[in-house]
Amino acid sequence: MDIEEIFRRVERVSDQAAVNLSRTRVTQIRFSNNVIDISNEWNEELASVFLAKNGRTFMFDLKNEKDLDKILPRSISAIEKIGENTDFVSLNDKKNNYRKKRMNDAKLREVEAQQFVTDFINDVKPFVKRTGGVFYKKETEEQMKTPFNEGTERQFGVEFVARAFNDHDYPLQTSFATSSDDDLQDLMRQKDEIMDLARKVKSIKEGREGRYNVIFSPLCFASLVSYTVPMASAFQVDSGMSMFAGRMGEKVGSRSFTVYDDPTDDSMFNSRTFDDEGSPARKTPVIEKGVVKSLLHNFSTASKYHTETTGNAGIISPAPWQISVEPGNEDLDDMIASMKKGLFINNTWYTRFQDYREGVFSTIPRDGIFYIENGEIKESWSGIRISDSLINIYKNIEGISRETKKVKWWDETMHTRSPFVEAAEVNISRSK
Amino acid sequence: MEEFVDKALDYASKRSKYAEVRFFSSTRNSVMMKNGAISASGYTVDSGMAIRMLNKSIAFSSINIGSWDRIKEEIDRAARMSEHPGRDNFSNETPVKDEWRVSQKQKIEDLPFEERVNRLKELDGILADEKIAMRILALGDNIEEEFNTSSEGMAIRSRLPKVSLFAMMGYMENGSFEQGTVEVGYSGGYEAFDSWKLVDKLKHESNVLKMAAKAKKLEDGTYDLIAGPEISGIVAHESAGHPTESDRILGREMAQAGESFIKKDDRGKRVGSDIVNLVDDPTIEHSFGFYKYDRDGVKARKRYLYKLGIINEFLSNRESAGRLGEKSNAASRSSEWDKEPLVRMSTTFIEPRDHSLEELLEGVKEGIYMKSFTEWNIDDIRFNEKYVGREAYHVKNGEIKEVVRRPVIETTTVNFYSSIDAIGKDIEFSAGTCGKGDPMQGVDVWMGGPHIRVRNLKVR
Repeated sequence: MDIEEIFRRVERVSDQAAVNLSRTRVTQIRFSNNVIDISNEWNEELASVFLAKNGRTFMFDLKNEKDLDKILPRSISAIEKIGENTDFVSLNDKKNNYRKKRMNDAKLREVEAQQFVTDFINDVKPFVKRTGGVFYKKETEEQMKTPFNEGTERQFGVEFVARAFNDHDYPLQTSFATSSDDDLQDLMRQKDEIMDLARKVKSIKEGREGRYNVIFSPLCFASLVSYTVPMASAFQVDSGMSMFAGRMGEKVGSRSFTVYDDPTDDSMFNSRTFDDEGSPARKTPVIEKGVVKSLLHNFSTASKYHTETTGNAGIISPAPWQISVEPGNEDLDDMIASMKKGLFINNTWYTRFQDYREGVFSTIPRDGIFYIENGEIKESWSGIRISDSLINIYKNIEGISRETKKVKWWDETMHTRSPFVEAAEVNISRSK
Repeated sequence: MEEFVDKALDYASKRSKYAEVRFFSSTRNSVMMKNGAISASGYTVDSGMAIRMLNKSIAFSSINIGSWDRIKEEIDRAARMSEHPGRDNFSNETPVKDEWRVSQKQKIEDLPFEERVNRLKELDGILADEKIAMRILALGDNIEEEFNTSSEGMAIRSRLPKVSLFAMMGYMENGSFEQGTVEVGYSGGYEAFDSWKLVDKLKHESNVLKMAAKAKKLEDGTYDLIAGPEISGIVAHESAGHPTESDRILGREMAQAGESFIKKDDRGKRVGSDIVNLVDDPTIEHSFGFYKYDRDGVKARKRYLYKLGIINEFLSNRESAGRLGEKSNAASRSSEWDKEPLVRMSTTFIEPRDHSLEELLEGVKEGIYMKSFTEWNIDDIRFNEKYVGREAYHVKNGEIKEVVRRPVIETTTVNFYSSIDAIGKDIEFSAGTCGKGDPMQGVDVWMGGPHIRVRNLKVR
């Protein structure tokens, strides 16, 4: 598809138009119980078109340029009969310049997917009974054109997730995602992470209820912030169903807790230089030193909130690109060694909220829940649930590691760079 | 692109021991409102070709760029990928040639776009009148057309129209917040809209939130539970449908949604009381997860997952049935044309029996009547689960008493099903989106069932 041609035709019939064209090539290998299940390949083009006319807005997605002949008249007919979108102000009408992306992926591109997976399976086989997971190689080209701005950028990245079960069928998991050759060794080290976790498994027991200090792994903490940061979208806040609603400037975490949306980290796959309406993408502190610092805005929501866009369009609903949690000064080994009684939780899933305003939720830890007493792992647990509020957990953060890891797992975890994080008095419940 | 299907199938068949070529196109209309503003109106046309090939392993490839050279390139690539050692057995099934479509009384294609906006505005106005300040409403419809062919001779054409509505509401009173959702879906046309009785539903849900915001927590303890259709439906979906998915049982989803407490030799084991029949049925007319043939081309049928409290049947597709040495029971679905087919549910429910709601209540001295839920989750083997009530009442000596706020049940699958001692004769369904696979595939399902009575659950 030709973005110039699509834009030319759309612009002619609207007051403002934006076209975002993405070309995607993705290779994926899925494996389970030490055998490759399927190789998937996606090779697609998608044009997302936004148009505004007389205060009304309409969007359509296009996968074949020929379809424009029928979609465009239909869209114009529809837009004339629907009511105004009072939330829409304008696309970003300033001419913007974008930073230059630092691509560093020549070696990563050479990683052969099937071979990587096969090697991983063979390498961990002596240490765990069975393993499964997914390996992705993703390449996209994004083009954006509005009446005021245009841009093109590329992304390339790999993502690897492996879950392994030891001889007692106790599950463990590792995840790593990168767009940088500098991380090649870390990618190759994922087998060591699984083996290291496998060595930590001791005395498998059903978990016990109570309040515990918890050290969250980067994968686990990434999951919590992956549910938190999207709630900072001004659209979500506007709807009222967000823990950030009415909390600007309010303390929601300990002083050591800072979390950004950071599309400027080009070593991560979702790094971006511009957003869907041509604003420069930038690093935005959502919670800084425990205080709600900024929402995520597009041009229209920023106008409504009398502030500047943060470059997070979504023209309708702003959204984060990729998350970064500020590291601390601690060392994981020291965090464990100084823990009197608590838990290390490696992963979690099925996070659901009963109260978006207060961030009251529960989630189910998995893939390595280690009970620690006097600085030593004593037991490996299963069957527990974290039943608490995000604000409680963030306010009770007591320690953050220097070391960070870049993770992405399934739908549970956005592209996130996170350290190990320790929070006090986390409520643990279980089925009765 | 459809013109290339025969050529692509011929080319792929020569490069694999089994090949499938599917052409798919869809049109989708959607409207969303947030707190009275029309936030998004849109139209999507989607089309493309999916190719699945089996040699030493399975390869799946999708392309929406309509030139033969590019299609040929994708088939060559899929052929190469399928030569990597992996799993290579599909169940043997008789290939079908057929055509099916779901009828519409009020056709989606005849509805002017602005009518969708008008309908949503009306519903938003009802919630606004009810003082529900926080509200998001989304209305969507789509028509999916598919031509599915295989090297074995399958040739199935289908046309499936669908309509769905999702409403999310938040209510705050004196700092006390409650949130709720209404979700409905239908295979067919806009005749669904009236049958959903949305005005009544939204007014009722508004009142539920207002009552819950003022309600008090119940004292922790042991209570009998009368679970309404929404609760019995989510339980059936989460702790009977998911754990009997054979790809989970075989570990295919081990790194994502997980496995199952049920192992492959567990058919015949007891998991519930002897009145519990658990069904998954894709053939219920106009159900949200309806299909006549699954994505593998196998004819859909009703499945008894648990029968008289005993594990009876696993949901399967050709891939998992092949590994189990069985025939598929037609649970192969994918959320979009460009995603691999997986074992999925359709409409999952506890089969109704003979009790009225009054009879269920009669036997309860101290209990709760939970009609809907807010937070819920279940572990990745589908055994430890949690349901938090949204609309819930205290029951005392057979009578429904005061509203109680967010009662929490954390129980296990076997404990829950084993504690069911009576099942209602009513049945009601609501729509949902079931997530699974990597990349995530959300498929349309119905969940629901009758009222049920569950004895002696811990509630807090």
